[in-house]
Amino acid sequence: MSDSATIVFEDVSRFYGEVLGVNRVNLTIPPGITSLVGPNGSGKTTLMNMMTGLVRPSRGTISVRGIAPDDPQALFRIMGYCTQFDSFPRGYTGIQFVTAALLMQGLPAAEAEAKAWKAIEKVNLVEAAKRKVAGYSKGMRQRIRLAQSIAHDPQVLVLDEPLNGLDPLVRSETIALFREQADRGAHVIVSSHVLHEVDMISDQVILLANGYVVAEGEIRGVRAEISDRPHQIVIRCDQPSRMASKLFEHDHVVEVRIHPDRQGLLVKTTDASHFHKLLNKLALDGIYIDTIAPADDDVNSLYEYLIGDEGGN
Amino acid sequence: MDTVLWRRQLLAIVQLEWKKTLFSKRGIWVYVLAFLPALLFGINAYRVKSIRAEQERMSVSAPNASAVSNKIVAGMSADVAAEALRDAKIPYSRFTRGRRLEVIRYNDGANAFDLMFREGALVDKRKRNQALLSDDIRAYAGMFQYFYLRLAIFFGCVGIFMNLFRGEMLDQSLHYYLLAPVRREVLMVGKYLSGLVATILIFGTSTALQLYLMLSAHSNKEVSDYLAGEGWGHIAAYLGVTALACVGYGSIFLAAGIIMKNPMVAAASILFWEGINWFLPAMLKKFSVIFYLQSLCPVVAPLNSDIPEPLKLLVTTAAPISAPIAILGLFTVSIAVLAFASIYVRKLEINYGAD
Repeated sequence: MSDSATIVFEDVSRFYGEVLGVNRVNLTIPPGITSLVGPNGSGKTTLMNMMTGLVRPSRGTISVRGIAPDDPQALFRIMGYCTQFDSFPRGYTGIQFVTAALLMQGLPAAEAEAKAWKAIEKVNLVEAAKRKVAGYSKGMRQRIRLAQSIAHDPQVLVLDEPLNGLDPLVRSETIALFREQADRGAHVIVSSHVLHEVDMISDQVILLANGYVVAEGEIRGVRAEISDRPHQIVIRCDQPSRMASKLFEHDHVVEVRIHPDRQGLLVKTTDASHFHKLLNKLALDGIYIDTIAPADDDVNSLYEYLIGDEGGN
Repeated sequence: MDTVLWRRQLLAIVQLEWKKTLFSKRGIWVYVLAFLPALLFGINAYRVKSIRAEQERMSVSAPNASAVSNKIVAGMSADVAAEALRDAKIPYSRFTRGRRLEVIRYNDGANAFDLMFREGALVDKRKRNQALLSDDIRAYAGMFQYFYLRLAIFFGCVGIFMNLFRGEMLDQSLHYYLLAPVRREVLMVGKYLSGLVATILIFGTSTALQLYLMLSAHSNKEVSDYLAGEGWGHIAAYLGVTALACVGYGSIFLAAGIIMKNPMVAAASILFWEGINWFLPAMLKKFSVIFYLQSLCPVVAPLNSDIPEPLKLLVTTAAPISAPIAILGLFTVSIAVLAFASIYVRKLEINYGAD
């Protein structure tokens, strides 16, 4: 994939005096929804701020679809950033806030206002648009920031904790909006603490801990790379006890737990490919297997395996 | 260079900023500073009108007051002087100051006097403020140069221009500007222009009001004579110097707001630098704003003889330079300061959020 279609971090480090922000980050992020996952202080916001030019790397280079972050005039034509800073210019209404950003794009006033209304419609905030932002609830403030960041149809959308403060209905609408942006070929870079949501929306994840990238890629791909943790697989079948005894004959099966309803079992294996071949054999031996599903190829498990308790999540 | 885009962006920034700057609650004290001299000249106008009214009353009730007043000369006893005033129906007040000094205060219709008697004999006949326009013009020159330029506009610009960047950093709202497709230099110039619009509006209005109040107290004849002479030139010069002060101090405090974290340290340092301008060698004088502004002031500010010598040195005007050179010099200093600030604004980082 060419540089003009990806976001590239090359040996990027950032230090805040003696304190490490991120260290030796090398990433190539393709279009689609990419989630940055990691505990507080892991470097998620630093990465986002460097990508958007709000903070400069101490070392290394960044390219956002071929544009350097220190060229705001070019960068913010293709990028929108919804930060987690919950503050606004004083005295603005919702529509003024979004329009202001478009005016600074150099758009004529009428066009800027039309685009602002369109973006506000997308985040379902039309009714409150003429009210002062200072009177908005947390969720509304989050949505108006989102409207501002998508108003110019950016090719790169960077969203720092964008689902914070949103109620469940708005959350699902917002996630759909991210998907819509990704489907039209945009980069959507999201940081989130809510792992099941990350799991649901992400095409790929970047796991960060203590300023280092500990894993990156598609979730299943990342899980497959983790060899020191046995894979967990849930099997629904008609003879769980017989299956358990057959499975224990193999060294790569390290644990088997029969489900309380006696209709299935949870298996832990260190060799997933051998395990799947074994299941074929067992099926031919007369055990009826209803479903096979991985139990730990989600972000939650990746987080637990790679970051552990550090995150506290 | 995309000058059309930059012009649009500058316009957008000025439109977004100027009202915010002008009507900020944080800037109320700037209005107080700016309009305090107008209040003083309003009070002075009332005082001058009262004196004028008193003088008119005197010309009717005591037509020979001036002649009587002229006859009061050194050596005359307090009782004799009081009797002469009483006979001429000139109202006076008589009081003592300390144990040995007696004072008779009166107005002869043209002038107000304090007669000072020691050991019962007249030792000093002091003419008090006569409420003449020429006196007010000199008083205005002093107020304008020693208070308005050096303190009011100076600190007003601290309050307005420093907040353009630093204030938004404190409010955590500067990133919205930095996330727009605007060159940082264009953003800086846009904010500077919006600050200029606000300060010139505030301080220019106050200057105009001060001059109006100063002139309004005096008779039509005095005012029209003044305007027919150098009056309009003075007014234009004061308004121009006010605007140029905003240009000069604005550039310095905008830069200080970008470069320094503590505005008070910056303001104190610059105030000190401007204050010692008189002592500086000719070359260094050119790196201050007050040097050029004082050269452009139309009336030499009077210095009260009671001012202690060290303070007198601090407020004395440096040898003036010609107006075109002063204007050119001030713009050169301002552009140089803004160019220097643009190096910093390009490197400006937002770091007010915890990771």
